[in-house]
Amino acid sequence: MKLMGAAGTALAFAPFVPWGQFMPNPDSAKLEKVPVILPDGGQANINTFPVNHAEVITYPKTGDQVLDGEAFRKWQFIRLPEELGGSKADASSFRAYSMVCLHLWCLWKYWPQEGRKRGECPCHGSMYNPMTGTAFAGPASLQAPPSNTLAKLDMEADSSGDLWILPAKWGPNNNGVVGYGRFVE
Amino acid sequence: MAVSLNRRTGAVSFFYWIWDGIDRTIFTGIKFSFPSRFVSPFGFLGMLTFITFVILGVSGALLMFYYFPILDRAWDSVEKINDVVPYGFHIRNIHYHGSNAMVLLAILHMYYQYFSGRYKIRNEVLWVTGVILGTVTILEAFTGYDIIFSERAELAISIAASLTNSIPIAGPTIREAMFGSGFTDFVLRFYAQHVFILPLVMLGLMAVHFPRFLVFDVPMVMAISGAILITGGVFPIDMGFKFEPTVPPGITVPEWYLTGLYAFLRTQYDKFVTGVLWPGLFIGSLLLLPFIDRYKKFSWKDRPIVTAFGITGIAQIMVTTYWGFYIPPDTTIPLVQRLVIDPIFFYLVMILLVPLGFGFSYMMIKMAQEAERKAKLRSDKGPKKVATINLSQKWLNWVIVGLIAFQVYLNIAAYNAALTGLNNLSLFFTGLILLVFAGLFHVYRYALSEAKRPPPPPPVHATEPHAKEVKAEAPKELPPKTETS
Repeated sequence: MKLMGAAGTALAFAPFVPWGQFMPNPDSAKLEKVPVILPDGGQANINTFPVNHAEVITYPKTGDQVLDGEAFRKWQFIRLPEELGGSKADASSFRAYSMVCLHLWCLWKYWPQEGRKRGECPCHGSMYNPMTGTAFAGPASLQAPPSNTLAKLDMEADSSGDLWILPAKWGPNNNGVVGYGRFVE
Repeated sequence: MAVSLNRRTGAVSFFYWIWDGIDRTIFTGIKFSFPSRFVSPFGFLGMLTFITFVILGVSGALLMFYYFPILDRAWDSVEKINDVVPYGFHIRNIHYHGSNAMVLLAILHMYYQYFSGRYKIRNEVLWVTGVILGTVTILEAFTGYDIIFSERAELAISIAASLTNSIPIAGPTIREAMFGSGFTDFVLRFYAQHVFILPLVMLGLMAVHFPRFLVFDVPMVMAISGAILITGGVFPIDMGFKFEPTVPPGITVPEWYLTGLYAFLRTQYDKFVTGVLWPGLFIGSLLLLPFIDRYKKFSWKDRPIVTAFGITGIAQIMVTTYWGFYIPPDTTIPLVQRLVIDPIFFYLVMILLVPLGFGFSYMMIKMAQEAERKAKLRSDKGPKKVATINLSQKWLNWVIVGLIAFQVYLNIAAYNAALTGLNNLSLFFTGLILLVFAGLFHVYRYALSEAKRPPPPPPVHATEPHAKEVKAEAPKELPPKTETS
């Protein structure tokens, strides 16, 4: 009898359990394959994008100026320098990391100059390895994993050389969490 | 036709009718008492916390008219409130300093209950809800200064988010659910929590926490309101810098009630342990206090262990609070290094404070007992003398006239200051006006009770025995008695 009462109660409230999905913002959840759109409005292409160069891209794009302008949607789209394999004509020579520094959420960027060739945060000097997105100097490098490695985006190139961003899965074990980090396999 | 002897006529009877009606509602459980004489100021702390909550509710509701909880507009809208909207500066400063006052009053209230052992009078629920209420108050204040979205606010949000993330297993999920996925979400959600969810939780807890006897004292309320305004006038809160993600932030420290926690975080030790576990342990042990404290007596002098723990806790809070603020002034070393606190040194000091706190408590208890013994000896020898100020009716009138004249002057000064754009001065004067009103109210109340006192008997009859009795029973102002008491 008691068991049936409990079962009835549980069934009555069971439909509300998935309602917990109301809480996380769905903007970041329903994602599809989208082109890599550079600030000039064109799609990034393997054949035209310069080696050892970086641009800021917005992902996921909403079309809303305010939402698109925020730091959590900003990614550094990097073509690696030649010595790190940046001259290869496929997606492996490209990287996209969240621009939100893992230390205190300033925006870092890639510096292509000779002797630097790394991501640097202007606030407290955290430095990121462009190959892996892992911090190797500064306060972010002292944080325990996953908070020492930037969230990244997976990309692929089509036959014409245009680059596409694959749907991202936000989790420390997948693409990482913006502002929190990612476990490196 | 005789005049009605009933003094409850017209508007007065209407108010009594409402009062009696309210008395039959849920509020029957609460007895408001208006003390006619001075009682221990510590007893007012809980009531004052509540009054500050009401002040915050009103000023916060007004701020909502102009505030935008939108990422790129939040800071600008606060700037508009501060600089453009007439009296926006006043409202904002009242809200800011009111929040500090509420946290401070809540902490003082808790420690008064702690050392006086008053939580033993009634059941543990009152104490436990009080501790939770205090924690929520700090969260409320924290979400409040985050939604300005200045540099400091952004750093505070990022620390809060990283602490949430650091919780094992569930952390990232909780962060995603509670904070959302970006700055836009953070501002909007903190706003929702600040203006609705947390106040609602606080009101719910208050319904349980509310005492049956609420001491309500107009001069006290006016004095604390005045103090909030004066603090706002003397230390007007600045805007901070608008958060720009590419601009290196300057050195910012959190509000004073969180610098203690910040000091722990600055040791760079594991975030979960320092930022979640230690404060959790502190709050947890406070929650358990009435179950741990098994002393039969109330006074702090008779509960040495509890007192010693309390003193140690206060010492640690004071040291960490200061340490959190302190950043070495040597600008030649990099900022990050200046921010780091050596964990070994830090924890050594924390541990060292324990025997110091215990020793200090032991000393205090000994001294208090000695003082008590001496006082007892003295009272055995002679009559106790208490200094009193006795003013005649005439002089009381003059004091009231003087205070009113001062009010007139202050009103003109405050208005003039506001006209000439000296907002902080005007806020200061307004606070002073409230303080003067507190004094005025007290003197007026005193004068009324003096007027009701029967005139002293003529000196020739002083030898008669009953003349003394009449003088002895000075009428006190009592709240209207109701049948439900």
